[in-house]
Amino acid sequence: MNQTQMTARVGLFFIIGVALVWTAWQALHDGGFSQKEGYQVTATFASLRELKPGDAVRMAGVPIGRVETVGLAQGRAQATLFINDAIAIASDATATIAMSGLIGSNYISLDLGTPSAAPVPPGGTLRTKDTPDLNQIMAEFGGIGQDIKNTIGQISGALGSGAEGGGGLIKTIESMVNENRDKLAHTMTNLEDITARLRNGEGTLGKLINDPAAYDNLLAAVREIKDAATGAKTFMNDAQGLFSQVKNGQGTLGMLLYDDATAAHLRTSVANLRQLTEKLNNENSTFGQLITNDELVRDVKLTLRKIDRAMDGAADSGPLTAVGVISNALF
Amino acid sequence: MKQLYATFDWIGAAVLLAVRAFRMLPAAPRILKRTVEQAFLGGYASITIVALLSFSIGAVLALQAGLTLQPVGMKEVIGTLVGEAMVRELGPLIVAILVAGRVASAITAELASMKVYQEIDALVTMNIPPERFLVLPRLLAVLLYMPVLTMIGILMGWIGGAVVCKYVAVIGVSTDVYFNAVRAYLDFPKLVDGLIKAEIFGFVVILIACNTGLRTTGGPREIGFAVTRSVVYSLVAILGLDYFITKALS
Repeated sequence: MNQTQMTARVGLFFIIGVALVWTAWQALHDGGFSQKEGYQVTATFASLRELKPGDAVRMAGVPIGRVETVGLAQGRAQATLFINDAIAIASDATATIAMSGLIGSNYISLDLGTPSAAPVPPGGTLRTKDTPDLNQIMAEFGGIGQDIKNTIGQISGALGSGAEGGGGLIKTIESMVNENRDKLAHTMTNLEDITARLRNGEGTLGKLINDPAAYDNLLAAVREIKDAATGAKTFMNDAQGLFSQVKNGQGTLGMLLYDDATAAHLRTSVANLRQLTEKLNNENSTFGQLITNDELVRDVKLTLRKIDRAMDGAADSGPLTAVGVISNALF
Repeated sequence: MKQLYATFDWIGAAVLLAVRAFRMLPAAPRILKRTVEQAFLGGYASITIVALLSFSIGAVLALQAGLTLQPVGMKEVIGTLVGEAMVRELGPLIVAILVAGRVASAITAELASMKVYQEIDALVTMNIPPERFLVLPRLLAVLLYMPVLTMIGILMGWIGGAVVCKYVAVIGVSTDVYFNAVRAYLDFPKLVDGLIKAEIFGFVVILIACNTGLRTTGGPREIGFAVTRSVVYSLVAILGLDYFITKALS
């Protein structure tokens, strides 16, 4: 190998080195190998989290640009985004910071927005929405875990020995069972006996369970009860209607109960009736004497009898008297 | 105590050798041809072995990481792990070890032979400083080819990892996901840190090789011992400096 060949190969070697460094710089610094034409927009957030220059900007998952710079502006974290020229972002599209994996890098995620909305102009500001990051979520989970722990502790305290050393539910039940062991055993024996009788079809309940006829009878009785209940319901509905009419002052009873004029008339009538009865009871009044004085009755009977006789006499001389009266009138 | 004194003497001689060599820097155009030759021997001729070894390291690293991370559902971060490891640590380290084994040993053998066979004395007699004629071209060459070799090593390591991720069924991570993960936490300053580390490693390794070769005394048997010493000192220096350089750059 002569000197020229050696020099050429060393030259090639360094060109390869420079090319590799340039490629790495492009890939790691700018976030891409090709510098496309585009425009800048800004997006402000409460926190940019792990977002750094070179991270992707995606619209509906499709890469449309990259984060160019990050910084603070007007008390908020601001990212300047470089968007490919061919992409128009609707003004109502919302940008969020998303994670590409649990411990992956962050990127700006944009939704599509409304197609009819005006596009964000170069240098414009995107609508943003702050989403909770993993740390906040974990902190909330931590709080929930603490609540669960406290709740379980309380349940455990209630079931086991209490925090103040008092007896818990389990302990209480245990002591109750120990104290009533004989009674419980007796109860269990009774229950076994009852269930055995039920199984054998003894007694009403046993027959009901085991005898189809008893079941049918019970079903028929229930049906009748149901019919009766239906009738009672109808009656109750009628009664309800009646009461409703009475309440509305309809009918005699309704007027009597709810019509003030009728009530006033009734009160007047009652007062009159009371006066009448008082007069009737009064011995000095005509009707009172008529009712209470026997002598007056006899006098009346006697008088009536005389009138009767007089009328009989008048009947005999009636025609002559009538002619006499007419003659006096004419002459 | 004597050993300690000898160690300090050796280190002092190496530092003085570097200082004397760089004092000859104005004469660099005159040694350009020799620098190119050293760059060819140390850099161009090492491309294949650097590429193969780095590819293997990247592949093994991805395989180990994949087998460990796949059961816990984190195989998407293999790219990040391989990418960071190759750039910050394994790329510079592997290239430096290869240079120590392949280039530094050859330099030590050459200079030790020249020293043993009194060629160095002949150069001095002809008023040709060995620092200018032998050491400076090698130091300048290593400063030029180390970044290139390191970049090749890093790239091949990434590719090795990507191949394993794509074609090992148990791992099954696509190339897109792998390289996105590589880029996720990696930035250019980290790459520059790796290249700075590689430069320091390369410079120290070649300096050790030149110093060891030029300090060889005795007969031809000493040449072999000098080569062994050179490689061992280089490896110790690389691994010893690694911690401090990483600490300084972090």
